[in-house]
Amino acid sequence: MSFLPGLVETTAVTDLYVDTNEVHREKIPQGTIWKIKVPADSKMTINIVSGIAEIFGTELANNVEYSFSNWNFSIYAVEEVHLEWKGSDPHPIVEDEDLISNRTAKYIYNLHFSLDKMRSTSFEGPNILVIGNKGSGKTALCRTLSSYSIKFKAYSPMFVNLNPQEAVFSPPGCLSATPISDILDVELPIWGQSMTSGATALHTKQPILKLFGLEMIAENPQRYLQTMDSLASVINSRLEKDSLVQRSGCIIDTPPLGQLSDDLHELVHIIQKFRINFVVMLADVDNEEDTATLEKVTPLAKSLVGDFFVKIPRLCGVIPSDDVYMRSLQRSSIREYFYGNPGTALSPFSLSLDFEDLVIWEPKNVLSNGETAVENNEILNLSQVSISPSSVQHALICITHQDKHAKQEDVANAAILGFALITEVNEKRRKMRVLLPVPGNFPNNACILTSYRYLE
Amino acid sequence: MDEDMDNMVKEFTDVLEELTFNSKPIITTLTKMAEENISCAQPFVEALENRISKCVPTQKLCAFYALDSICKNAGSPYTIYFSKNLFALYKKTYLLVDNTTRSKLISLFKTWMMPTESTGAPLFESAALTRIENFLIKASALHQKNYQSKLPTPTIPLLLADIDRLTKLTEMRLQKSPTDSKLNVKLQVLGQLKQELQKGKLGLPALKQVQLQLKEIFSQDQQLIQQQMDFKARNQQRQQMGPGQGQGSAMMRPDGRDSDSQASHSTTPISLFDTTNGPNVSSLFGSSSGVLDTKSIREAERSNKKAKLESLYKSLGESGLLFTPSQESIVTLYDKVRPKGSNSHDDTPNIVLPPVRLLEDILFDCKAYFANVNINISAIPSLSFSQYNVTADNLVVQNNLIHLLYRAKSNKCSTCGKRFGNSNDEKRLFSEHLDWHFRINKRIKGSSQVITSNGAAAGATATQKNIQSRNWFLRDEEWANFKDSIITSTRFNSDPDENRNNKRRDNRRRNRNDDLREPGNNYNGSTSVNMSPGDSPALNEVTLRNLKVVVPESTENMSFQCPICKDSLDAVYDEDTGEWIWRNAVEINGKHFHALCYYESVKNNSNEEERNLGLQNLQRLIK
Repeated sequence: MSFLPGLVETTAVTDLYVDTNEVHREKIPQGTIWKIKVPADSKMTINIVSGIAEIFGTELANNVEYSFSNWNFSIYAVEEVHLEWKGSDPHPIVEDEDLISNRTAKYIYNLHFSLDKMRSTSFEGPNILVIGNKGSGKTALCRTLSSYSIKFKAYSPMFVNLNPQEAVFSPPGCLSATPISDILDVELPIWGQSMTSGATALHTKQPILKLFGLEMIAENPQRYLQTMDSLASVINSRLEKDSLVQRSGCIIDTPPLGQLSDDLHELVHIIQKFRINFVVMLADVDNEEDTATLEKVTPLAKSLVGDFFVKIPRLCGVIPSDDVYMRSLQRSSIREYFYGNPGTALSPFSLSLDFEDLVIWEPKNVLSNGETAVENNEILNLSQVSISPSSVQHALICITHQDKHAKQEDVANAAILGFALITEVNEKRRKMRVLLPVPGNFPNNACILTSYRYLE
Repeated sequence: MDEDMDNMVKEFTDVLEELTFNSKPIITTLTKMAEENISCAQPFVEALENRISKCVPTQKLCAFYALDSICKNAGSPYTIYFSKNLFALYKKTYLLVDNTTRSKLISLFKTWMMPTESTGAPLFESAALTRIENFLIKASALHQKNYQSKLPTPTIPLLLADIDRLTKLTEMRLQKSPTDSKLNVKLQVLGQLKQELQKGKLGLPALKQVQLQLKEIFSQDQQLIQQQMDFKARNQQRQQMGPGQGQGSAMMRPDGRDSDSQASHSTTPISLFDTTNGPNVSSLFGSSSGVLDTKSIREAERSNKKAKLESLYKSLGESGLLFTPSQESIVTLYDKVRPKGSNSHDDTPNIVLPPVRLLEDILFDCKAYFANVNINISAIPSLSFSQYNVTADNLVVQNNLIHLLYRAKSNKCSTCGKRFGNSNDEKRLFSEHLDWHFRINKRIKGSSQVITSNGAAAGATATQKNIQSRNWFLRDEEWANFKDSIITSTRFNSDPDENRNNKRRDNRRRNRNDDLREPGNNYNGSTSVNMSPGDSPALNEVTLRNLKVVVPESTENMSFQCPICKDSLDAVYDEDTGEWIWRNAVEINGKHFHALCYYESVKNNSNEEERNLGLQNLQRLIK
């Protein structure tokens, strides 16, 4: 084939000889982190032979084979760790700086124990908000704090995710709250499984979801605030009834500050609605973007929480992510929702529906609807989707708890029953195939279209 | 390939034939060949072994040197192959060669016992080395006996002549270093000895003893000469104990013999003491007097060596070169704890220590426990939330509190890594947690047998594969009232899966979905018995499960088949009653049923009379 022009360069010969079963050994000295990149198309297994290793605060069992795919993460050696790994990718490690000393671990420990002190002294636990620019380690910090919180005493902090692009215990496009009642799944970028009908190797979690439905907050900031409000109110009623969660407090993850509006009124809104009493900002002093943001945030935060506004440096284990990686994480969270993972295989249910069986609503998108300026009082209204291959093919739709014929304002804030995937649309026969997570008829409920598409 | 190998082996054998004298270049060549042709290791080993066993005794040592060189340079696999026949080869050779060669063989063997740098283990397999060592010990004991009998009958004139020679030598030495008072003492001792001998009152056995003892002391001196040359400082030490044992003059002998092993020099020095000694010799040679047979001579030798080592140790200690372990050090403690009266170096190989990792683990756990045992987190001011406290180096966190997250809870689950502490409550939780993993893993594997014998899903059909799907999410108010303890409980009676199933059933009812899952429904129904209002409250699932039947003596295989669900139930041993029982079982009119199956079938009986009768049966059993 080499006589064909252009073919020669693209043939990557080296990859053919990678032995996926070759066992590599690695020693991670105490106090260092080992950064790992496992691309979507490869797999890596890690076996901790000795020592104490943790991934985002969750300790790994020794001599158990953990497998990872499509995830960038880091292993922190609390005590010197000897491990063995296998993988289809010869270089799962971020080159040059794969083993670095964890300079930020002490901030997390300090934070954790000061939170723990509050939990032990008050019935009303700390509600802590984590903010920062893109790639500063917000979610990693939240995950680590959540994991630490349940390690010594049986606390159960409420993790609240306010970043609709982030998928935690759920498909993307939602704001969610989940009491972290047991150990997180170290293998999963989405932190763990939500409930299934059968046996899972680890205890599942029970999140509450509120659908934002769009990708960017800027596409409909009002809807974002509205979604947040309804999440906040259900969280507050849970906290009133669940003394353990109330005592453990909330750990709240946010979208990157750059995605909020310039005056940061969303931040004010969050702090008020979720009764935040502590704000942690991840920012480096020598980072221009961070110093600029700090200047904006500091007076605002000080006015709301006073001295309980704390700045710590960006986490040093952060692996810069791009849009491609974000997309692949979102994709795998959708797959996870329907099909589970290698450890817990789920059986979704595919069925055929008439166009008339479905009522699908759609949130307004102010950025794309340029031709007709949306009236301010209508921006929160949903509009009905006319079903066609172009509009709903491969779309992830959200099934609400509201009846099919409910009014759109009821649907807009309804609780989420689950998600379905429209895998095929046949316009001629006016039929479509839909993938449901749970076997059975399609619920007789109203649906909301999300911006996320998933091609199997 | 094979041809190459044959050629190579032939070449190797040819070179080997040339090894008729101790030639460094030939041995180097052989070693290089062995190193470069690992694939031919086996034939090479065979060739060399042949050579050693077939060549004339004088050349055997050279062949052994070649073996030694190959093993030390090329290492494995040669060491492994040679280890096989090493003992036989060594023994055969040793028995054939003369004393000088024997001593060289012994010194060769000594180098094998040294741990190699690369592996840290001795060169060959320890079994082979141990056999050789035992052989050598026996051989040298035998040698000593032979040697004793070969000694010339000691006569007074012979001994006197030797003493004269020694005296002369010592005097010469005294001229060289007139300040050495020790030598003067030695001269005096020799003079005394001469006087005693001249009295001529000693019997023959006594003379023989003296002769042997002198020989032993002399051979020890030979070793000391070597040491003395290396360490001038040691000379003095040795001499301090010299006069008491009359050994000083012997070591002055300017002999050029190689003294690298006892076997070689033990033959020569006797000529010095050919004459007999007096009866009061024992006072002169206090420490070794009364020693009669070879065994005690060796013991004496050992104690002598020990004394020398101790004095060396002392002198090193005085010059500050030794580290003395402090009172509470592990070394001192070990010395105290060690069983008394045992020879430390003989015992060490028998003590099997757990791996260092485990010991370290235990040590760290203890440290972690003590680090936070008196810490009260709510009373530490530096933990209040502020910019300073979060960003500063907080020593309490780093030294004490951090352990709370890890080793303070020393029981780490080997399946998921979750940690549990050591209090009784935590231990109970830990064992429940492990049981939970066990049950869940069984279910994930789809094994129905264990579940049945646990009674978790009694009456279920065997087709319980772990087929599952995502659950619907909850409504707002349901979620607000939800307690996560339902999911996370590991206690058996509130098995999370049951609750999950209940929830799902509720979910389904709420959504008014048509149930497409008839087959699965069976299973759900049986895990949670829905009580109709007319039932006696005592008849609930838990009490039914707790019903048990003592296995009748007439049963043959300890299990029975429930006539309703056709599942067989195995007996378990009940600790409380000390009997083998069937759990979740009832005996009705001599027949055995699953309690739940029986209950279900009775309850669904359309005939009211029969139903009441059955329920009464059950009620009776529960009471």
